[in-house]
Amino acid sequence: MSSIPHDHAGGHAHDEHAHHPGGIMRWITTTNHKDIGTLYLWFSFIMFLAGGCLALTIRTELFEPGLQIVDPEFFNSLTTLHGLIMIFGAIMPAAVGFANWQVPLMIGAPDMAFARMNNWSFWLLPFAVTLLFTSFFVPGGAAAGGWTLYAPLSVQAGMGMDLTIFAIHIMGASSIMGSINIITTILNLRAPGMTMMKMPLFVWTWLITAYLLIAVMPVLAGAVTMLLTDRHFGTSFFNAAGGGDPVMFQHIFWFFGHPEVYIMILPSFGIVSTIIPAFSRKPLFGYASMVYATSSIAILSFLVWAHHMFTVGMPAAGQLFFMYMTMLIAVPTGVKVFNWIATMWKGSMTFETPMLFAIGFVFLFTLGGFTGLVLAITPVDIQLQDTYYVVAHFHYVLVAGSLFAFFGGIYYWLPKWCGRMYNEAMGVWHFWLSMIFFNITFFPMHFLGLAGMPRRVPDYATQFTDWNMVASIGAFGFGLSQLLLLYNVVTCIRSGPPAPAKPWEGADTLEWTLPSPAPYHTFETPPHVH
Amino acid sequence: MANTRFDPAGDADSRRAASRRTALVLSSIAVTFFAGVILAQYSGAPGVGIAVLGFAILGFLIVAIGRNVRK
Repeated sequence: MSSIPHDHAGGHAHDEHAHHPGGIMRWITTTNHKDIGTLYLWFSFIMFLAGGCLALTIRTELFEPGLQIVDPEFFNSLTTLHGLIMIFGAIMPAAVGFANWQVPLMIGAPDMAFARMNNWSFWLLPFAVTLLFTSFFVPGGAAAGGWTLYAPLSVQAGMGMDLTIFAIHIMGASSIMGSINIITTILNLRAPGMTMMKMPLFVWTWLITAYLLIAVMPVLAGAVTMLLTDRHFGTSFFNAAGGGDPVMFQHIFWFFGHPEVYIMILPSFGIVSTIIPAFSRKPLFGYASMVYATSSIAILSFLVWAHHMFTVGMPAAGQLFFMYMTMLIAVPTGVKVFNWIATMWKGSMTFETPMLFAIGFVFLFTLGGFTGLVLAITPVDIQLQDTYYVVAHFHYVLVAGSLFAFFGGIYYWLPKWCGRMYNEAMGVWHFWLSMIFFNITFFPMHFLGLAGMPRRVPDYATQFTDWNMVASIGAFGFGLSQLLLLYNVVTCIRSGPPAPAKPWEGADTLEWTLPSPAPYHTFETPPHVH
Repeated sequence: MANTRFDPAGDADSRRAASRRTALVLSSIAVTFFAGVILAQYSGAPGVGIAVLGFAILGFLIVAIGRNVRK
C-alpha cells in the first residue's frame, strides 16, 4: 500500500502528483480515499491490539480466584477502557476504513464527496484515543464505571471521566462527519447506470449504517454533555437529589447504544454478503429482501433499547413491549442468514480464507443471535442480567460476528489494495486458530453466566474457577493468533506474489475491473454501468 | 432533502452544489437531535420531551431509508 501508481485509464495524464507531498506529510494531509482507508484500517488494528492487551490483563487477573496482579479499581478501568477502545477505536474505525476504500470503488466514484473532511474525520481519532489512554495517568485513574458510563457513578468519578467524555465527543464528531460523507457520496456520486437497487450490498449496508450514525451519535453526545454539566456546572439531569433521574441516563444511553450495536454489525453483513456470492459463484440470493431486511433491522433497532434495562423497575407492560420487539428483530436477521445459506446452496464453492471467515461468521453470529433471543425473554434476562452470559452473547456477535467479517474482508480485498497475494496457508491457519481459541474463550462464559457469575468483577467465588481458567487460556491463544494476521499482511505487502486484477473468479463488483493495486486515482471518468 | 436530488449526468458544479445541500441537511438534523436531547430535559415533562425526540429520530430514519429503498 506504499506505491501510488497513477491511473491513466481516464484518457488524460496530469502532473499534480509531482507536487504531492511524500513521506509522513503525505499521510497527514492526504485527501485520497484509499490513503484514508489505509489509515483507518491500520489505526483500527493498532487499537484492536491495544484493547486486546487490556483484555489479556483482565483474563490474567481472572485466571484464578483472588486478586493477583491488579487492584479492583484498576480492574474496573481495564474493563471500561477495553470496551471503549474496542467499540470506538477498533470496530467502528475498521468499518469506516472498509467504507473509505470500497464505497467509491464499488459505485464508480472518483473519491468521497468531501475529501478534506474525510481527512479530518480520521485525524480526530488518534487525538481522541490519546485522551483515553492519558486518562490512566491522571489523578483518580481512568474511567471505571463500565463503557456505559451509568449515572450516578459517572457523575462522581474523577478527572478520567472528563477525558473520556471529551474523547467520546471527538469520536462522535468524527463518526458524524464520516457518515455525512458516506451518505453524500452514495447518493450523489454514483456512476451513470448505478441505480440504488444495483448497488453492491456492502454499499447498502453502509448507507443504512451512516443514517443510523447521524441519528444516534448526537444522542450520545447529548447524554455525555449532560453528564459533563452534572459533574461541573451544577445541573441535575441525572442526580436524584437535585430532582433528576439516573434511569433517564440509561434510557438516553441505550437509545444510542442499541442502534450502536447494529452500526457495528451492518457493515459486516455487507462484507459477508459480498464474499459469499463470490466464493459460491452465484449471485446473492434475494438481493431485494436483503435490502429490506437490513432496513427493517435498522428501524427496529430503535424500538428495543430497554431490553438492556429489564431490571431497573419498569412496568410489566414496558417489559413486554421491549421483549416482543427484541424477538421481532430476529425475523429480518433470520431472513439474512437464510439468504446467505441459500446463496451457498448448490453453488460451486471454494474455501479460500475470506470464505472461511464468512462461513465462520454465519455460524457463530447465528449462535450469538440465539443467545440474544434467550436474553430477550424478560424473566430469563432478569436472572442473566450482568452475568457472564451477556458477556458471552455480545462477544459472539461482535468478535465472531464483526471481527471475523472484517478479517474476511481484509483477505478478500488485500490483493486489490496492495497488488499482492497473501499467504493462503497462513490465512487458513489464522482462521482455524482464531475459530478454535475464540470458542475456548467465550463458550464457557455461557456456563459461567448460567451458574451466576457476575460480570465486571475482579474476583469470583471458587466454583467458577475451572471455566475461568479455560477462558483465560483461550484468550491468550486467540490474542497470539492475531499476530499471524499481522505477519501475513506485512509480508504480503512487502514481498507477496503479484496479484491479478481479479484474483477471485466469482467476484463481480466494480473494483475488480481495476488493476491490482488499484491506481491512486480511479474512475476519474465514471464508468457506465449496465 | 427535497432539493438535494442529484443528476448523474450533471456537471461537477451541480454535483458539488447537491453534495453541499445534502451535507447541510444532514448536519442540521444531527445538531437538532443533539440540542433536542438536552432541551427535552427542560420541558415540563422530560419523559414526554425525550419521547417526542425519539419519535422524531425514528421518523427521520424511516423517511431517509424509505426514500432510498423506493428508488
